[in-house]
Amino acid sequence: MQTIDGSQGEGGGQILRSSLAFAMVTGQSCRIENIRAGRKKPGLMRQHLTAVRAAQAVSGATVVGDEIGSTQIEFAVENPGRVSGGEYHFSIGTAGSTTLVLQTVLPALMLADGPSVVVLEGGTHNPFAPPFDFLVRAFLPALEKMGPKVRATLDRPGFYPAGGGRLSVTIEPVKKLGVMEWLERGETVRRSATATVANLSREIAERELKVVRKKLNWADECLVVNEVCDTPGPGNILTLEVESDGGESGGGGGICEVFTGFGEMNRPAEVVAKQAVQACQRYLSCGVPVGEYLADQLLLPMAIAGGGAFRCVRLTRHTQTHIELVQKFLDCQITTESHGRDGVIVRVS
Amino acid sequence: MLKQIVIGLLGPTLDRGMAGDGPDRWGSWRPTVSVCQHDDWVVDQFDMIYQPKFQKLANQVADDIRSVSPETDVRLHTVEMDDAWDFEGVFATLYDFATSYPFDTDNCEYQVHITTGTHVAQICLFLLTESRHFPAKLLQTSPPRRKNSGQPGQLKTIDLDLSRYDQLAQRFGLEQTRSLEFLKSGIPTRNAAFNRTIEQIEHVAIQSTDPILITGPTGAGKSQLARRVYQLKKQRRQLDGPLVEVNCATIRGDTAMSTLFGHTKGAFTGAVTARKGLLTEANGGMLFLDEVGELGMDEQTMLLRAIEEKRFLAVGADKESASDFQLTCGTNRNLLADVANGRFREDLLARINLWSFQLPGLAQRRDDIEPNVQYELEQLARHTGQQVRFNAEARRHFLKFAISSDARWSANFRDLNAAMRRMAIMATAGRITIDVVDDEINRLRRAWTSIENSENDNCDLQSILNDQQIEALDLFDVAQLQTVIRTCRQSSNLSEAGRKLFAESRKHRKTLNDADRLRKYLAKFKLDWASVKKQNQPC
Repeated sequence: MQTIDGSQGEGGGQILRSSLAFAMVTGQSCRIENIRAGRKKPGLMRQHLTAVRAAQAVSGATVVGDEIGSTQIEFAVENPGRVSGGEYHFSIGTAGSTTLVLQTVLPALMLADGPSVVVLEGGTHNPFAPPFDFLVRAFLPALEKMGPKVRATLDRPGFYPAGGGRLSVTIEPVKKLGVMEWLERGETVRRSATATVANLSREIAERELKVVRKKLNWADECLVVNEVCDTPGPGNILTLEVESDGGESGGGGGICEVFTGFGEMNRPAEVVAKQAVQACQRYLSCGVPVGEYLADQLLLPMAIAGGGAFRCVRLTRHTQTHIELVQKFLDCQITTESHGRDGVIVRVS
Repeated sequence: MLKQIVIGLLGPTLDRGMAGDGPDRWGSWRPTVSVCQHDDWVVDQFDMIYQPKFQKLANQVADDIRSVSPETDVRLHTVEMDDAWDFEGVFATLYDFATSYPFDTDNCEYQVHITTGTHVAQICLFLLTESRHFPAKLLQTSPPRRKNSGQPGQLKTIDLDLSRYDQLAQRFGLEQTRSLEFLKSGIPTRNAAFNRTIEQIEHVAIQSTDPILITGPTGAGKSQLARRVYQLKKQRRQLDGPLVEVNCATIRGDTAMSTLFGHTKGAFTGAVTARKGLLTEANGGMLFLDEVGELGMDEQTMLLRAIEEKRFLAVGADKESASDFQLTCGTNRNLLADVANGRFREDLLARINLWSFQLPGLAQRRDDIEPNVQYELEQLARHTGQQVRFNAEARRHFLKFAISSDARWSANFRDLNAAMRRMAIMATAGRITIDVVDDEINRLRRAWTSIENSENDNCDLQSILNDQQIEALDLFDVAQLQTVIRTCRQSSNLSEAGRKLFAESRKHRKTLNDADRLRKYLAKFKLDWASVKKQNQPC
């Protein structure tokens, strides 16, 4: 049984979710201690508990300590490598992130013995979690290049605090993941800025797009206002997409990156826009194919594939924690080379 | 982990939010929704109480809870509450809700949300939680520091059972008593027969100055009733003298005459000064002779004359004294039987028996036990200045025992009073717990068992034979006769008793004449079936 110190590195819910994902994929039982030890409210919160229960549902594992506030759980995998595909439905309270729960079960389901349909309800665009657009534009296409076909559709968005969002994901698994490399970014083939307003004034979206036009100098035909009303609460996000080809030595071919600004009560539209624009500018100026969030997401499938490489803007604390964790569960070597302003190369072998 | 259940009122103002039913309502802090929005607490069930006119809002709040908290089972309860500021109405409504709610404290933990509703409703919820009608903690919510952030704000639970709240609770208790009195207008007895008796006594007391006889087992409240009659008469200005109470069992023997009727100076050795006597003291007031059946024959004769002619002779006096008093007598004996045995004067009985009222024992008035428990607690609070209360579980436990047939209440209210007194002393911080109740139940059981045993030993004979007859019996006969009489009393006729008594020997007899054998046996003691059965009463 692996023992994972949940307080290491960034010490949040991510280490719990990744540990569960690895445990299911590798068939290794694990005990996670000091869960969210440094946080104001330590231990499992509701959305973490939902992730644990989802992992249990998918793998049939035996779980001890799955209670609110619990700082230690044991996740005992009964039949290693026997994750069964099927239909799953998970509801997340407090408008918690659907994508984080998906992240927990997706690695296991994309290597399962059959296809799956997963329906998730809760928040679809949460700060501190990959928003749906990132998932569907950036992460899943990249993942698909490694083999599994994962299609996600947004039935309706859900924003904090009302929630009420719903997404459906179909997963066609593979026996083994392929090895991919994203080392260079070529020409930008597409760029778009979508300002979504749910039950809010269109003017907010227009102000955000005005900032995008001014700071990034993008043409008007790239800027889209998306008005939504099929969600219970108000919500606003700005999504910037940059799709590039693989360049001359890109190997892996094209990649799409997504940058998001999250609207919040009492937060001016311009500030929301700046959050996304600045992340986008950092990415564009660096010349790397992989942004910091995508880097974090790609590490796990690459480690499972047993090989691959990418170049990214920088290593976040999240990513560093992830690298340490991967090596506990999997027999693989992860090296990082810093190239200063040209970013960092992460290589799995 | 126990199932978490929240009970709360829908707040027509706060739960609506600033923006009504639009999506912007999510920007307002809505207490009921916020309860289910916390990261670190899952509400498994929310019982929402609301008035039918707020149906639409209730549905919306329920839907919103389901959206942010799929784990929560929202249950809607409509209540009629015409005026949410009317204390009596709100209290009654919430009281009814609490008493009909199927609480399962073994498997569920309850919290009563008191942030929503009118101040009156909040007070009522507090009172009902404090009295454990809601076996719950209080739950208070407050808005987030950053306005309109959509954050759930703060939760605070208050457990009124913690000892640090006892002092507060006790201070509150006085007010609660007042409001309960206000709501229930005193503590009514529920037993219909008893209530009718009381009505009759009041009627007689007001309309007549004749003697009143109150019969009933010991501790049934005879002296208390006599005092009530006296107070009533005094209120009506029918009496202006004092109430003089005496237990005749305590004045038997030589001094009985002088105690009752007084004596002159030097009337007998030791009579250094003159004594007025109780009859004289009661002049213009009421004389209550408890256990009147214990009065000696001489005293009975004097008393009869004192009643009939309002005149009597003090010991050693050669001039009659006069005293006019209302006579009330109490007894637990069957005076008719005493007359038959020559122990009580028939003419005196006829005189005091004009208005005779039978007080049932507590065991025959089990529906009155609960209000009397409450009454005893109030009396204790009045006398000691200390509020003592049951916790809800202990109260249920005690009452269950008290009204069961296990509880003999052989000394009636005296037993109940003693039990309450003991439990009040054993209570910690003014609260009677289930352990205290358990100890008391055991104590009562033991006491009643030993009484039962001793009754079986010697009681039966005294009720049918007079003292001289009993003294004349051999121990051999006493033992035999007791068993025979007990068996007779448990049987419906002479033949049945005979069959039981001669169960073995009748197997070997050719002719069956058990009834005749028994009849002959009883005749030896000048007894017959009727006299054995007629006096079938506890002594």
